Amino acid sequence: MILIDSLVVFPLIAAVLLLIGRTDAVRDVIVVASAAIIAVLSIVLAAQYLGAPTTYFMFESPVIDALVPLISIAICATICAFGIKYKNVFAVVLAIVQLAGSLVFEFVFAHGIDVQLSLYVDTLSAIMALIIGIIGSGICVYALGYMKDFQAHEPEGARDRRPTFFAIMFLFLSAMYVIVFSNNMSWMFTGWEVTTLCSFLLIAYTRTDEAVRNAFRQIIMNIAGGIGFLVALFAVVICFGTLSFSEFIALGSLFPSFAALPVCALAFAGLTKAAQMPFHTWLLGAMVAPTPTSALLHSSTMVKAGVFLLIKLAPLFLVCPVPAVMCELVGGVTFLLCSCMAIAQSNAKRVLAYSTIANLGLIVACAGVGTPEAVWAAIFLVIFHAIAKSLLFLCVGTAEHHIGSRNIEDMDLLFQRMPKLARFMMLGIMCMFIAPFGMLIAKWATLISFVETNSFVLILLLAFGSGATFMFWAKWLGKLTGIAGEPEDVELTVHKSEWAALYLMAGLIIAVCVLLPVISSCIVEPYIASMFGVPAQGVGQDNLWIASVLVAFVAIVLFGGLRHSRQKKVDVYLSGVGTDFATRTYVNSMGGQTQATARNLYLEPLFGEGRLKVAGEVICTVLIVIAFIASGVLF
Amino acid sequence: MSLIQTLLGTVLFAVLAPVVGCLLAGADRIVSARMQGRVGPPLLQPYYDVRKLLGKEDVSVSGVDGLYMTCALVFTAFSGGFFFSGGNLLMSAFLITMAALFFIIAAYSSRSPFAEIGAGRESLQVMAYEPMVILMAVAFYLATGTFQVAGVFDLRHPIVCTTWLAFIGFLFILTIKLRKSPFDLSSSHHAHQELVKGVTTEMSGRTLAKVEVMHWCETVLFLGWTGMFFVWGGPATLIVGVVFALLAWFLEILIDNNFARVKWQAMLKSAWIVALVCGGVNIAVLMLL
Amino acid sequence: MSFATKSPWVIHYDASSCNGCDIEVLAALCPGFDLERFGIVNTGNPKHADIFLVTGSVNERNQHVVKQIYDQMVEPKVVVACGICACSGGIFHDCYNILGGVDKVIPVDVYVPGCAVRPEALIDGVVQALDILDQRAKALEAKRKGA
Repeated sequence: MILIDSLVVFPLIAAVLLLIGRTDAVRDVIVVASAAIIAVLSIVLAAQYLGAPTTYFMFESPVIDALVPLISIAICATICAFGIKYKNVFAVVLAIVQLAGSLVFEFVFAHGIDVQLSLYVDTLSAIMALIIGIIGSGICVYALGYMKDFQAHEPEGARDRRPTFFAIMFLFLSAMYVIVFSNNMSWMFTGWEVTTLCSFLLIAYTRTDEAVRNAFRQIIMNIAGGIGFLVALFAVVICFGTLSFSEFIALGSLFPSFAALPVCALAFAGLTKAAQMPFHTWLLGAMVAPTPTSALLHSSTMVKAGVFLLIKLAPLFLVCPVPAVMCELVGGVTFLLCSCMAIAQSNAKRVLAYSTIANLGLIVACAGVGTPEAVWAAIFLVIFHAIAKSLLFLCVGTAEHHIGSRNIEDMDLLFQRMPKLARFMMLGIMCMFIAPFGMLIAKWATLISFVETNSFVLILLLAFGSGATFMFWAKWLGKLTGIAGEPEDVELTVHKSEWAALYLMAGLIIAVCVLLPVISSCIVEPYIASMFGVPAQGVGQDNLWIASVLVAFVAIVLFGGLRHSRQKKVDVYLSGVGTDFATRTYVNSMGGQTQATARNLYLEPLFGEGRLKVAGEVICTVLIVIAFIASGVLF
Repeated sequence: MSLIQTLLGTVLFAVLAPVVGCLLAGADRIVSARMQGRVGPPLLQPYYDVRKLLGKEDVSVSGVDGLYMTCALVFTAFSGGFFFSGGNLLMSAFLITMAALFFIIAAYSSRSPFAEIGAGRESLQVMAYEPMVILMAVAFYLATGTFQVAGVFDLRHPIVCTTWLAFIGFLFILTIKLRKSPFDLSSSHHAHQELVKGVTTEMSGRTLAKVEVMHWCETVLFLGWTGMFFVWGGPATLIVGVVFALLAWFLEILIDNNFARVKWQAMLKSAWIVALVCGGVNIAVLMLL
Repeated sequence: MSFATKSPWVIHYDASSCNGCDIEVLAALCPGFDLERFGIVNTGNPKHADIFLVTGSVNERNQHVVKQIYDQMVEPKVVVACGICACSGGIFHDCYNILGGVDKVIPVDVYVPGCAVRPEALIDGVVQALDILDQRAKALEAKRKGA
């Protein structure tokens, strides 16, 4: 209980301190200390509650109940201020609609409904706490070094908004803790809206036209999702007369016909936050923000809030076919199309964004399937995606500052130019798509759950999506590994705080992949058992152990084996007379010099954004609309 | 128990598959030669080739491709071990993909323009066949009720009776997996193609020997997958599986000798359409009827 | 006999041949002569090849190409000059841009004369080259053991 309180309150204190202490030195101390404390608190909490049955806490606070509408008003005011300043009417209207809705809800409908057990911890929220506490605060530490370079790259005289930036990062963590620990749906909604606002402010950080435009795109889509959440709250109060999330799930399982609409609306909110098609464009637009923001949004916060909610709803998806089918198909279609579109991208951050959306699609589809095996898969997808994606974003961010580009083609020879960083990146990439690493093990479990529930369409979507996934990761991985000549090592100037975060994430990947069998049997399976009454794990413990051994083998090769060999070095074959082998230059047929270069395959005509994006948006919109109509009719 | 079984299977596969694969490769060359009206090399020619490669001077462009290829061999061995010890079919399929990835990285690491294009095409080939492999495994599950390969021994009829359509799809991508014409885009057995030797351009000596051994093991594994469709009841029916695997192998050689190489577009489109039609329809029938 | 002689892979380069010898080299690989009987494969890649078959005389322009292909072949390796032009420059020997036979640029192990060189002679030359290849393979092996 105290742990939960301090996890929510502590980041807020850190945020306030960061607004006060505005110098670099003070900020370094505050951020590192707060990150360490948050991480330790999360670990202590996890040590107590991981694998344990759900624990509820009696907690009622008139202060917080009074704060909820005030926060809603503050959020609306901020959005309106920005909307008026940048002349975005749509955002203002949506914000006011939402505020009106939430005030009506608070004072008319929710009035008199008390939730006594308003806080809880179960294994899933403990896992989320770990992800937020370790990865999220790791990203904050990384941001220290990164933002110094970032500020140095800014034009002369640009305003230094870093104090606000760091304060928002910590506020974000606090809001995430509210979401994962609240049993009171009204509080959860408030946390939900705070994350929306925080990401809006983070995306708009540079205040360039593009940043502001993309930030508004984000806020409009996510307020739409917030309104969906609000609709769900109304429906829950009207149908079930409660605001307790656990009671809602219990009652909803008993009366599925009443639960269909609120589940559908909550799922809609989850889909927007998890950036599923047709809402995926906000996450792509968020790429304009500084890299730590992208890392935070993609790995430990924001999008994870969306899938967290959906996984929590899994027992209801089992009994409510309409929202379940919506989630399955939207998730599956998003997985396939975004994996395909990632092939045509050469911008590393965009590839990462598409891969995030695709993997979230898979998690959403798993949640929609809702069987114990599917939830097992979804939880591991969340864990591995959080770690690997944060590592990859941080690697790309550091690489960008040292090679001056985030284009994958420019990452040529990174293996020599930034030897340690390239290996981290390779580890992250491998973790994302290939056996024996965690992500693929989770995908494997996903496939098994799809097969066992006879989800024919999902199997097809997964099969083709996996093929596309291999293509875009393999060619990026390949680009990193090239070795030629003796290029200069440019990673000597990387900040210590960046290395610390990178080492942390890489260590986590290896640890979690190697310990996967233990985590599965000691933590996740008991949770699944408590949720569904039956323990489930589709992959098989023996297979997990062999995968774990093989991960250790690959890690040793990657970090211990790839050094200078005793083999005699020879020059590359250039099919003619090579003149400078380090740069692959040869004498061409006119007697001049030509440099041999090879670009990766991007297959633009087949997998370009043009057709696929439209197709995906149309399909997913139709699915969502049908689902709403169907559940409205049932209601 | 099954852990030990798998490890034992891996060791046995690592020892036996190169022997069988080498003989198959030798026979492949003789059969191909006969189809072209030639006599062809001795049966043990692939073995001589590898022994010669092992005796060559140990050189490398990148200095790391040898290690990558060793990893590829290790993963191939585990993949075969899983399959032939009756273990999980999906695990076998995933691990062989990891082996393919190491092969691709080994080529990329040399940063030779020819090898890079070859490696890119090899990734395309993986992308082309991967959906059908997954659908084949799903069809296997639907026919047997398990992903454990050993499950076929409990059946009353071979799974090909209900999964013949998926089997046809699998035969199609088998040509890509074995890198036979018309899908030998990344590296060809024949000289004077536009990519010199594609993926293996910069590999020589020991590293190239590892590539050859990996191909032998892969051939055995994929023919094992083929034979799996025809086994039922008890171990005695393994003979039927072997016979059909050899027939499929002969068919692949026939195709190899009769088709010109296609462009990657044709490969990708045809492979995905075949996967969608053969794999999809077969699974739909098994699942929904 | 070492394994090197059982699987000699060749690379063929046309220096400045009139194409007569090239056709004969390829003819030797065709069904009529079927050099694959001896494990001979035409690789087209110096990194894979053991025997370098050069046709035609070497000129100012391509001497570097010949040299580089030879350098990129991995030990043990042998060179066979195929046809009279490759052996000595042939009828082109006093052209303004011709350096002469292949041995002006790289060490040649076997000279196979003829205009154009007959496949039978070529096969005979390659078989002689195999003896040299065998010696080199053994020398390399001895060196490796000694080292």
